[in-house]
Amino acid sequence: MWRPCGTFDETYQKDMAIVRTPLRWAVLLGALLVTGLLPVVVPYYFVSFLNNLAITVILVMGLQIVSGYCGQISFGQAAYMAVGAYSAAIFTQKLGLSFWVALPLSGIFTGLFGLVGGAPSLRIKGFYLAVATIAVHFVTMWLILHLEVTGRSHGLAVEPPTLAGFVFDTDERMFYIIMPTMLLMTYGARNLVRTKVGRAFVAIRDNDLAAQVMGINLFYYKLLAFFISCFYAGVAGCLWAHLTLVAHFEQFTLLHALWYIGMLIVGGMGSIPGVFFGVILIRILDELVMVVSPVLAAWFPWLGSAPAAGLGVTAFGLVLAFFLIWEPRGLAHRWEILKASLRLYPFAH
Amino acid sequence: MGSRKSILFFLAVLLAVGWATLPGQASAREVVFLDLTDFTGPVAGLALPGSLGLEDYIKDINARGGVQGVKVRYIGVDTRYDVARMLSSFKRYRRDEAVLGINIVSTPFGKVLKEITAKEKLVITIPGDGEYQANVGNFFTWGPTYQDAFAAAMDWVVADWKKQGKSGKPVVGHLAWDSPYGREPLRGGKEHGEKIGVQFLNPEFFPSGTPKHDVYLSRLEAAGANYIYVACVDPAPTNVLRDAAAMGLNKKIQFITDYWGPTALGVGTHPEAVEGAVVVSFFLRGEEAKNHPINRRIWSTYQKDPPEKMNETYGMGIVWGMTFEAALKDAIQRVGADKLTREVLYESYQRLSGMKREGITGPCAYSPSSRRGSQEVKFYRCTKGKIVPITDWVKTPDAVSLHKW
Repeated sequence: MWRPCGTFDETYQKDMAIVRTPLRWAVLLGALLVTGLLPVVVPYYFVSFLNNLAITVILVMGLQIVSGYCGQISFGQAAYMAVGAYSAAIFTQKLGLSFWVALPLSGIFTGLFGLVGGAPSLRIKGFYLAVATIAVHFVTMWLILHLEVTGRSHGLAVEPPTLAGFVFDTDERMFYIIMPTMLLMTYGARNLVRTKVGRAFVAIRDNDLAAQVMGINLFYYKLLAFFISCFYAGVAGCLWAHLTLVAHFEQFTLLHALWYIGMLIVGGMGSIPGVFFGVILIRILDELVMVVSPVLAAWFPWLGSAPAAGLGVTAFGLVLAFFLIWEPRGLAHRWEILKASLRLYPFAH
Repeated sequence: MGSRKSILFFLAVLLAVGWATLPGQASAREVVFLDLTDFTGPVAGLALPGSLGLEDYIKDINARGGVQGVKVRYIGVDTRYDVARMLSSFKRYRRDEAVLGINIVSTPFGKVLKEITAKEKLVITIPGDGEYQANVGNFFTWGPTYQDAFAAAMDWVVADWKKQGKSGKPVVGHLAWDSPYGREPLRGGKEHGEKIGVQFLNPEFFPSGTPKHDVYLSRLEAAGANYIYVACVDPAPTNVLRDAAAMGLNKKIQFITDYWGPTALGVGTHPEAVEGAVVVSFFLRGEEAKNHPINRRIWSTYQKDPPEKMNETYGMGIVWGMTFEAALKDAIQRVGADKLTREVLYESYQRLSGMKREGITGPCAYSPSSRRGSQEVKFYRCTKGKIVPITDWVKTPDAVSLHKW
């Protein structure tokens, strides 16, 4: 965090506080108020876009913990999200639990499921672990497709959440569930990475042998990273299922998992703000293609709408390549440079 | 400072993009047909040419002055077989009242939109899932449902079996993508087949993108299949047929593919591999499609390529456009252009029963109780690099009603 000049921490509590000054509290509360009013003042499409964005942030935040902080590359995040979505659907539709109970439960269930997927990380790492997590994706999808309880290929329909008779059946209403959940989980992640656990994750990422020599229990912390990451994915899956009103295995493909990794690379590995940067940039790029395609088709009729509309995947690939070559530390690194230069202003950074 | 400027510039671009992504409104005398389709991904082989046909036909409508003076705007979005992407695209236009109809291409999109739009009278056209006929709502299939076509294919199998003078029951294997689409033909189609004396083997399913299909084919061969029904989207069926030919199975087993089997382009490229395979289709295939005057005129006007390069699903896209045009015309005649709403168009779609579409497909079967785009299919055979018809239009059995939904 950027510490304003002249601000001193006089107590341990102040030193540990995320929000340090009254001004920041005012800004935070103002931002929360504005966010709360968004569904009332902005168009429906933007609300739905923000819902999508927030769910993706939760999901990629989980990936950031296991991959960005703990260094365990995982391509299983889409599959874990599927587990969250299906478990939420089963909890609410088959077991009759309330959405409010199912939300944390689906996270915990997915976390436990993730321990199985994370087990190979105890013996393998890097590229090999990445391949193992791809296997987890396919095994999970196969299970979903062939188990009776998951509705097999037809998926499970989900009812919208309710609270004291109030039904959250529109994007505007779901916004008041999704956005606070996202903020809460971001706060949780922000705190986690500066605790003993977070430091252990970073130590394992930087050099697992050295970490073990220092007394860090690799078995425990690697699995803990997977559990937490999958908890985030499970919560994201639960929210997604209740937003789309259906859990269906074809919503969670390996391509999605690649996109999530791409978001992490673009935003910056090992950074909480990086998650926001990556998700926002890629999602906006995706929406931008939707806007640009008809314009391109009008300017260059020989292209037709179809090839122009297909630019989305190409654009994603180009952006990813751009960041890998020119800014492998992602937008978060640029953000840090910007903050440093502002702090030193008017002196050159 | 350079980095600060670049970040500020980046933020400015983000804001501009945010503003630009606000959905635009169509003009008063213009309606929108939204095509949420997969220009990339596993079903692009059928979606891309189909959407080209739709877009070109809409251009043609506008070149003719629109429908009763109302212009139609085509908006195509590449949904990449990605539900999140489709949902985002759908919501972008959901409350734009100019959007009167939506076309979607893949089964998972239907699963989601079915739940979300359950209370809306918004016309959504979709390939062939029987559940939309079983639970009549706002989803309209392009042609006969998948199970109806499968049932028609089983009728053909039994007739072919008898024609060859064989006794006993024909043994049929089902080889399809491991997805709801791959399973859909069996939901009612199997019941029909068993009723008419077909013996079914355990179905074989494989993930889309599978490079080789030998193991599935071997199992079906070992189980004694006389016929194998293939349900996946080209080029996958062509690949299945290629593997079968390499194993010599095409000499002893009759392969039948569904609507998305080999097109004339695939047949021309791999004539030996697909030789003898039968295609069941609700729209014209092969030379019939390329020589059809409407297909030919639209293709040559807007694609400016020789007809040999036309993929037959292009004609299917033209049919989507014709159907929308007819419904729009009916709606305008009933309420006037100024009072066009989604609900009015929804009513009009249900009034299209019997509408002819120049013979590119069978007569329209939409009605208050039917969501079938048509009830006729035609059988073709891949022969010496061509797709030639072996039957006239055949009425499909009602297989949907045989299944317990």
